[in-house]
This record gives sequence, structure tokens and C-alpha cells, in this order.
Amino acid sequence: MLALDIRNVTKAYPGFQIKDVSFQLEQGYIMGFIGANGAGKTTTIKSIMNMTRIDSGEIFVMGKSVATHEMALKQEIGCAFGDVGFYTRSKIKTLTSIAKKFYTNWNDEAYYTYLRRFKLDENKKIAELSSGMKVKYNLALALSHGAKLLVLDEPTSGLDPVSRDDLLDLFRELVLDGEFSILFSTHITSDLEKCADYITFIDKGRIVASSDKHEFVESYRLVGGRVDQLPELKARLIAYKTNTFGFTGLMYAADVDPSLDLKATTPSLEEIMVYFAKKEEAHG
Amino acid sequence: MVNLVMKDMRLGVNPWFFALPLFTGALMLVPGWIYFMVPFYFCCITVPNMLGGFKSQNDLMFSSMMPVTKQDIVKARVTVIVILELMHLIVAMLFSLLTFRLYPNMMYYFFSPHLGFWGLCFVMLGVFNLVLLPMYYKTAYKYGAATTASTIAALLFAGIAQWVGIQSPWAHDLFYGAGAEDMVVQASILGVGILVFLALTWMAYRMAVKRFLNVELL
Repeated sequence: MLALDIRNVTKAYPGFQIKDVSFQLEQGYIMGFIGANGAGKTTTIKSIMNMTRIDSGEIFVMGKSVATHEMALKQEIGCAFGDVGFYTRSKIKTLTSIAKKFYTNWNDEAYYTYLRRFKLDENKKIAELSSGMKVKYNLALALSHGAKLLVLDEPTSGLDPVSRDDLLDLFRELVLDGEFSILFSTHITSDLEKCADYITFIDKGRIVASSDKHEFVESYRLVGGRVDQLPELKARLIAYKTNTFGFTGLMYAADVDPSLDLKATTPSLEEIMVYFAKKEEAHG
Repeated sequence: MVNLVMKDMRLGVNPWFFALPLFTGALMLVPGWIYFMVPFYFCCITVPNMLGGFKSQNDLMFSSMMPVTKQDIVKARVTVIVILELMHLIVAMLFSLLTFRLYPNMMYYFFSPHLGFWGLCFVMLGVFNLVLLPMYYKTAYKYGAATTASTIAALLFAGIAQWVGIQSPWAHDLFYGAGAEDMVVQASILGVGILVFLALTWMAYRMAVKRFLNVELL
């Protein structure tokens, strides 16, 4: 069953648009949603939450259309925006006592378990929390109301390495029984290397690829060669950088010609992102 | 919807604004004053402060993440505003009973606080809502222009009503002459005022929902 099915979503703003965004997340898996700043990650996530009015396309969560089942589906979606604070002068326990009333499947026991796990003191005010602790509080709320799909926008960006690791372990733990699914956007690609099953890469408002993580990185090659080879290769390179020793560039694995004298390696997620951003600069 | 109203009351609106009607209501004890000012304080003090609080607390994002419809978000906010308006008017009406006892022989230049006057206050707040809500829900966070325009609209209504009450012999008779002591006339004006308030607020709500459905939640 598909936990999330986004079909041809288009949304235009003055000067920016996401166009024909389509990808699917199978139930029980973690999908990393990557792209440079301003690529369209948050717009896509807000579309899932029906916070942005899409111009065209359809979004289904657990097989139901978000457009027609918004209220019921929000009971099943846990959402957290990394850097957003609500009612920051209120205590955690006050905000929780209000928020939990909205959810029919709220589980107090689970909530207090997560508070203990995240070392959150419910007598603290939101403003007293570090940005990492705010993310954890948002997560505790999302995980306590019986959500089956977590949609998280940059959840790890404010966290220290230890907390990040703890969070990624938690993500893995959550999907173990096959019921939970997680979509999280990030630009910290090492997080995805640790825990994502699938990668969806958005660039300039368009989905470049959405596939299994290994398949995704294996579909590209980081190639290195001499500067005099560049004219012949330029058309096939997604982007490249030159240096004293020659050039390094990114190309699709299918475009690599073994007869050419090139050093080809599998790129990291970060390298793929960086070269796509360079492509944008070169063409922009 | 009830949860959203409770959220506004416990988190969004400072408790002071629920206490304010007691203080503005007490102004009814000022003899022979322009009593339109009493509910008018709601328009120019409570509303901008309350909407500013929602904006700074990022309420819109919080509400939109909850499992509620956009229509419910507007309905709850309008309900909270109407509750506060009713608190202001009811407390002021109770204080006005004391006004008549304290100053039985007062000569009123401006409207005396008979029931008919409260009918006019209901209409004033209805006009206020009709301008405020559709303007505010163009963005659901920018409140400056909406509160300015709606406050001016309420002020204009109050000024014109007072001018008519003094200048028109028919209106003067209703509010200062024989009509002022006629319970049936006064209660009828109050009843019509309440109906106009409800109709204008309903229209304002419908227009606000229509606009809010097109708002992008940033």
C-alpha cells in the first residue's frame, strides 16, 4: 500500500514554481526528500498538508485524497516544521493539553514515553528549548496522536550529532513494524545515507529522480579527466568543476563511455546535490 | 470547532481582554458621557492587540496543522470575537442599570443608555465585523488596515447615528422623547439591532471564509 502518492502536482508562485511533481512512498519505509534551498521541498510538504493550494495534480495519503479527506487524514499525518515555533511563551504542558484535544487517537502513555526519551521537561516554555529540543517536542506530539505517516521538514537541521543519531535510530525503529512511513526533507545528506530507504531529489521545482537510495546514487557517476577531454564530454556532463589537474564532473551512469580514459566513481548524495546546483548556476 | 475556540481562549487571547469588559463597562458610570465609546474600546483596543497576538504567536501555522478545516478556523475566530463583543455589551448594559439609579435626573446630550441605544451598539459592532473580517482574512495575519478601516466604519456609524438622533425629530423622539420611556419601542429597537448584528456578522463570516480558502499559509 502507498502511504503517500503525489501525482503531477503543480503550483506556481511569481518567480517560482513546482511543476509535475510526482513520487510515491510505500508504507513502512523512509524517504529522504533532498534538494537545495528553494528547490521546492517545503512547498511540496505544505501541499501534502493542504496548507498550499495546488494549481493542479492530486495527493493521496493512505489511498485517500487529501483534497477531500483533509480532516481525517490530518489525524493520520504527523507533521513537523524544523524551525517553526508556536506559542513559544507557553509551557509544553499547556500547549500539549490544547493540542491533544484535536486528536481522537491521542496516547498519553506514548507521549510521556517520548518526553522521557527526548529528555523534555513539560514545565519548560517552548522559548526555553533549543531548536533541536523544539524539533523533538514537535515529534513527540506527532508520534503521540497515532500518526501513520510522518512528514517532517528539515527535522535534523538544528540537532547536535548525538541527538541526530538518536533521532535517526528512532526513525528506523518506527518503520520496523511496517506500519509507519516517514518522508523527511533535509540538506544533511549524511542523515539519509544512514537511514533512508528511498531518495526523492527535487531541483528547481522538478523531480529529478525518486528511487531506491542505492539505485539513485548508482545512476550517477563522478568522473575525473583531463581538461582537453572536456569539449568532447561537456554535453554529457550534468555539471563540472575544473582545477589544476583537470576536471571532475557528474554524469548519468548510462552516459559513461568505458572506452574513454576517465576515473569514474559512485558519487555521494551530497556530490549529486552540489553538481545539480552547479548546473543551475551554469544555466541560470 | 470547539477545540479551536478553547485554544483561542486558553492560549491566543490574553486573559486581560476577558477582564477588560468590566473596566470599560464601569465607564457607564461616567454621567452623560458618549456611551458609544464603551463598546468602541473593544474595536480599537482588544481587536488589534488580539490579532497582533495571534500573528506573533504563529497561530495560523498551529491551527492549520491541526485536523480542522479552514472554515472551522474562521468560524472559531468569529465565535471568539462575538463572545468578547457580547461580554462588552452585556457588562456595559448591567452597569447602565446603575447609571440610571445614580443619576436619575441627568440631562443627556448624547444617547442615554436605554435599550434602544444598545440596539444601536449591536449595529455598530455588526458594521465593525463586516469591515474587519473580510479584510483580515485576505491574509489572515495582516491586521493593521483591517482594524483601521473597521474602526473608522464603526466610528462613522456611531457619529452618524448620534447626529441623526439629535437632528431628526423622529429619531430624537425615539431616543430622547416619549419613545425613550416606551419599553416596547426600546425593546424593538434592541431586537432589530441584534438581528442586524447577527446578519452582518454572518455575512462577514461567509466573506471571510471565501477569502481564507484562497490564502496560502506561509
